[in-house]
Amino acid sequence: MSQALTPSHYLVASDVDRLQAVLSQPFTDLKSAYFSVVGLSKLGVSVADSNDACSFIKANVDSSSIEALFYAAEASQAISSCEIHVSNETRDSLHAAVSEDSTVSQIHQAVSALSSLGLPLASQEVVSALKARISKEDNVVAITLALQTASRLSQQAELGEILEEIEDLAARLDDLGGVYLQFEEGLEATALFVSAAYALSDHVDMEPPLKEDQVIQLVNSIFSKKSWDSLSEAFSVASAAAALSNNRFHKPVVVSAVGPATVSHSHPLLQLHVTDVLCQPLSSANVLVESATSVASKAAILSQTPFTLRDGIFELNFMASKPASGYYQFSVAVTGDSRLVANHVELKVKVSTKVAINNMDLSVVDKDQSIGTKTTRVEYPNKGKASFIADSHQNFAMTFQLVDETTGVELTPHQTFVRLHNQKTGQEVVFVAEPDSKNLYKFELDTAERKTEFDSISGTYALYLMVGDATLENPVLWNVADVVLKFPDEEAPSTVQSKNLYVPKPEIQHLFREPEKRPPTVLSNTFTALVLSPFLLLLILWFKLGANISNFSFSPSSVLFHVGHAAMLGLMYVYWTHLNMFQTLKYLAIIGSLTFLAGNRMLAQKAVKRYSLHHL
Amino acid sequence: MSSSVISVISRFLEEYNSSTSTKLKVVDAYLLYILLTGALQFLYCLLVGTFPFNSFLSGFISCVGSFILAVCLRIQINPQNKAEFLSTSPERAFADFLFAHTVLHLVAINFVG
Repeated sequence: MSQALTPSHYLVASDVDRLQAVLSQPFTDLKSAYFSVVGLSKLGVSVADSNDACSFIKANVDSSSIEALFYAAEASQAISSCEIHVSNETRDSLHAAVSEDSTVSQIHQAVSALSSLGLPLASQEVVSALKARISKEDNVVAITLALQTASRLSQQAELGEILEEIEDLAARLDDLGGVYLQFEEGLEATALFVSAAYALSDHVDMEPPLKEDQVIQLVNSIFSKKSWDSLSEAFSVASAAAALSNNRFHKPVVVSAVGPATVSHSHPLLQLHVTDVLCQPLSSANVLVESATSVASKAAILSQTPFTLRDGIFELNFMASKPASGYYQFSVAVTGDSRLVANHVELKVKVSTKVAINNMDLSVVDKDQSIGTKTTRVEYPNKGKASFIADSHQNFAMTFQLVDETTGVELTPHQTFVRLHNQKTGQEVVFVAEPDSKNLYKFELDTAERKTEFDSISGTYALYLMVGDATLENPVLWNVADVVLKFPDEEAPSTVQSKNLYVPKPEIQHLFREPEKRPPTVLSNTFTALVLSPFLLLLILWFKLGANISNFSFSPSSVLFHVGHAAMLGLMYVYWTHLNMFQTLKYLAIIGSLTFLAGNRMLAQKAVKRYSLHHL
Repeated sequence: MSSSVISVISRFLEEYNSSTSTKLKVVDAYLLYILLTGALQFLYCLLVGTFPFNSFLSGFISCVGSFILAVCLRIQINPQNKAEFLSTSPERAFADFLFAHTVLHLVAINFVG
């Protein structure tokens, strides 16, 4: 059987007070007066000064505006003995607003105003106008207003089709993680939908098509926000809270423990708040523990035990059943009303106790057992009078029992530590004491074996026993005795600095990348000269061979070619020093194409000359 | 033994001087220049190590590339090889030489850093 959902977000008393405070702000205009007055009435509270409010409403109503009439009519209805009178023309304009040409919002306002003013209205006309508008305005807010309007009409009207819209709208809700159910339009739309759906369902006395889990998810969504951005948002939350706490079909239950769910001998009562969503106690309900089982042993302690109601709080004396300390899983059921939703709750209750330390025996045992053990008993919270001396031939031993102070039952808490603290050096070493099969705790210190933990520093150590657990009310830190430990091979005692993790660490010097070793400048310069020297050799050889430029024709293409070629070589140098590849390619393209054209021309001329020379 | 080597060399040089046209000797002088330049660069690298390696490579490859292109030019303009290069006139060979050098220098300058 899957776990039924219970509300994880709900209003507590302070939240309800805050909601009331928001709605009690002084009015700025007719609209805010409407939200405040009607919102407070939903919370079951009347506005501070009703006469003032009534005169404010009467002064600010504008008979030509349907919206203003709506606010005024609804607000005055919520205040006792506040009546607004409207002229026949106003009444006619309200009737005229009910048509297929008005928006759903206008129809809603007109119908609500007519209803609150006690004026007659033609329900069937409203129904047909609404149906026509719903098909045109197919959004969440409009359909919600249509539902709200339908709840003001006569029960004889055909409201069936409009009633079906509840199911269609419910299908549009987004399920977030199985916890929340809300419209993407936001909190206000969701809250207004809830109040409209229940208003219409109550009016036609048909259960709304919402499953129990969906109702709880809606509760989570609407009441997850504990402070509200605007008056209209606060109003919508108050409306939804009123609808969910008082309708004919579904009543969500909020069960929470008063303070932490812990009982002990000093506080034996388990106290629960069992309320509706507006934090009002369900005084007529029966609250029952269906079962209470121990988490550790799975034994059932309680079955079908009722809570008693006192001052709006449901109480049960759990300690009367004499439970052992630990955690208990409670299954609580709230009955008495068929409308209750989420009325089975699982609760984890802690039973705390006080621990007593019995039979604390300290002894120094000789390793070869030749000398008898001398046992000293120490009573909590006293300290052993004499110090215990243990050197490398002896073991120091400690046994004790931990029991529940009241019942005498043996306990095995989560934390049982033995701490040895050297007062002079500040060094401390902690060991764990383990219980044996009979729940007797034993601790043995072999001086020779453990010398590394102590850094072989001999001296007087204060011995503490530390006992702690979540279910213990009295954690223990007990200086049991002083122990003098003598270690062999002792080095000169140095004050051990307690390991301080938070001192600045040694600074890391960043090693910058060392530049590569370069050859001496003399060598580089020599080789630069050497490498350039073959050029000289080349010039000499060419001279010797008789290479000359006597055949140089000064034709324009020739000149242009040589200039262009020189420019290209110059560009190479500039590329090396200044430019990047893209710029170079750009210039190269320009100069290169010029040089190519000129060179082509020049070489063609040369070819012609050579050809004519050879074929003379 | 050494005398025969010397005589071979001197005979070779004689033949070379007589049978090679001036045009080709000009190119040969250029080849020698390139060779020496490359060899000296390599010697420097051996002496001082390869830092900065890209500069050494750039210079050395430039020399090697130039040498190869000059050899190609020499082959193409040698009238004795005319049969194998019917479609390539000496002017065309020279133009190719220049174009290839442009590309080579562009790459070498890019790489020298």
